Amino acid sequence: MRPLDWVTLVLTLAGLVLYGLYRSRGAKSVNDFFLAGRTMPWYAMGLSIMATQASAITFISTTGQAYVDGMRFVQFYFGLPIAMVIISATAVPIFARAKVYTAYEYLEQRFDAKTRALASIIFLIQRGLGVGVAIAAPSIVLSLIFGWDDRVTTLVIGIVIILYTTFGGILAITWTDVLQMSIIFCSLILALLMVVSMLPPEISFGSAVRLAGAAGRLNAIDLNFDWNNRYNLWSGLIGGTFLALSYFGTDQSQVQRYLTGKSITQSKLSLLFNALAKVPLQCFILFVGAMVFVFYLFNAPPPLFQKPSLLKAQTSAAWPGTEARYRQAFAARREAALAVAKSDTAIPQFRAAQKQFESVRADAVKLAEQAQGGAKYNDTNYVFLSFVTRYLPAGVVGLIIAIIFAAAMSASSGEINSLATVSVIDIYKRHVRPVASDAHYLGVSRAATAFWGIYAMFFAQYGKNLGSLVEVVNLVGSLFYGSLLGVFALAFFTKRVTGTAAFAGMIAGEAAIFAAFSFTGISFLWYNVIGSVVVVLVALLFPRPTLPAPAVV
Amino acid sequence: MKPADESRPPFLGSWRNVYALVLLMLALDIALLYAFTRRFQ
Repeated sequence: MRPLDWVTLVLTLAGLVLYGLYRSRGAKSVNDFFLAGRTMPWYAMGLSIMATQASAITFISTTGQAYVDGMRFVQFYFGLPIAMVIISATAVPIFARAKVYTAYEYLEQRFDAKTRALASIIFLIQRGLGVGVAIAAPSIVLSLIFGWDDRVTTLVIGIVIILYTTFGGILAITWTDVLQMSIIFCSLILALLMVVSMLPPEISFGSAVRLAGAAGRLNAIDLNFDWNNRYNLWSGLIGGTFLALSYFGTDQSQVQRYLTGKSITQSKLSLLFNALAKVPLQCFILFVGAMVFVFYLFNAPPPLFQKPSLLKAQTSAAWPGTEARYRQAFAARREAALAVAKSDTAIPQFRAAQKQFESVRADAVKLAEQAQGGAKYNDTNYVFLSFVTRYLPAGVVGLIIAIIFAAAMSASSGEINSLATVSVIDIYKRHVRPVASDAHYLGVSRAATAFWGIYAMFFAQYGKNLGSLVEVVNLVGSLFYGSLLGVFALAFFTKRVTGTAAFAGMIAGEAAIFAAFSFTGISFLWYNVIGSVVVVLVALLFPRPTLPAPAVV
Repeated sequence: MKPADESRPPFLGSWRNVYALVLLMLALDIALLYAFTRRFQ
């Protein structure tokens, strides 16, 4: 990081926080703090929904995923537009008419207090686990790239979030998200322009796309159905729809965004904006990753993107030979890629050279794994940042690092705010102190926000040891979402199911998900389908209470 | 939120039409990506 990068980073982060606090001035009630007084326009809610969903690791990892595995990850998002349409047509008007602060509050109106309490606790457990990881992930990546202590990066992200969420509530979060997403869009466009402009003069944009395609990096659609394959058209459309229904329809961190709308129309438009924008946006991010791959066809990538593992692997006796073969394989692939730019007939040779290059890199990965005692090595999250810090000019590096901090903050602040909302509205106000002044609840809300912020920072220290962070987040969510989705489906679409039946259904749904997780190899995307179907079936089959027979006179 | 203004979206006349547009755009996205995949495979 050069001085100009530091200036850009500090100015961007300070600007974001001050802007959020400025827009949130005047939040003087619980309604303002948690629901922005129900005054938000569609575009602010829409960008905030997008920002809350897109954590820092999304930007770091998605580009790296395209580099390593191509664009097939985009299929993961195909269910999102379908889910948005269903939620707009059902959940949005139902929650609006119920005038609730949380999605779980509605469950008591429809069923009973125990169903609401169980859903709230499930949310607090799963989101409480996720919030620490959301901060830990970018902290670890930034610390490994720059050599910073990850406790320092966690502390910086955590303190900044606590500052504006505690004082400004959801108003600060939403308006900060709007600015963050705008900066993120601009930075991604800038990153694409930079990477394409740095290709050799003889490589046109068309040639770059052909090379990415020839190397299998533009494989956006896979029509083959496979239960164990996470990313194909069918798992995206079916599993993705259930996952998005669970996330946007039952997770308070998302529901709260569209509860802030100044009208039902505005709330629906915010969701439908996401439905239209999400697939093209993810495609664009993946395409940036594919272009980084093309860039590295002509500029030697490090054998391993993760520096500490590279240093360990270099101590191996076999390393010099592997490194020499790696250089040769890179030179052969570069020549083959230049030949493809002149004629498509060179594509088979290029593919063979790419295969050889991947084989040598796999040998380097094996050496790294041996050097670190057999621990699995994966550097997908380091590809993009490594490119940014090594090749982009001063100022741009600071801006990209700022958007990673910004994305971490937007995802975590939304989660912290929603955890505080459920703690105060569904637990404290419902079970601890049902009657008090609005000022009292506002004070408790601020305290709960600060508590969850501090908890997130501490949990981030634990979460970093849990293994692959993205997998942890996805897995934790999928272990709990299915039962929440099932109970909301019962609430929206059935009239006769009782609270006790819904409660029993949720318990059975959770048991089914944990059984699938423990005893089968089914991909996590399907857990939501399994859990929600079990909840609905058990609740529908649950014996109805028999009414006492009328007295015979 | 004011339930009263739920009846009409700001464009396309009805929410049903807006939802149809969103799903049509998804189908178009998938079709274009499929063509893209086939073209550069």
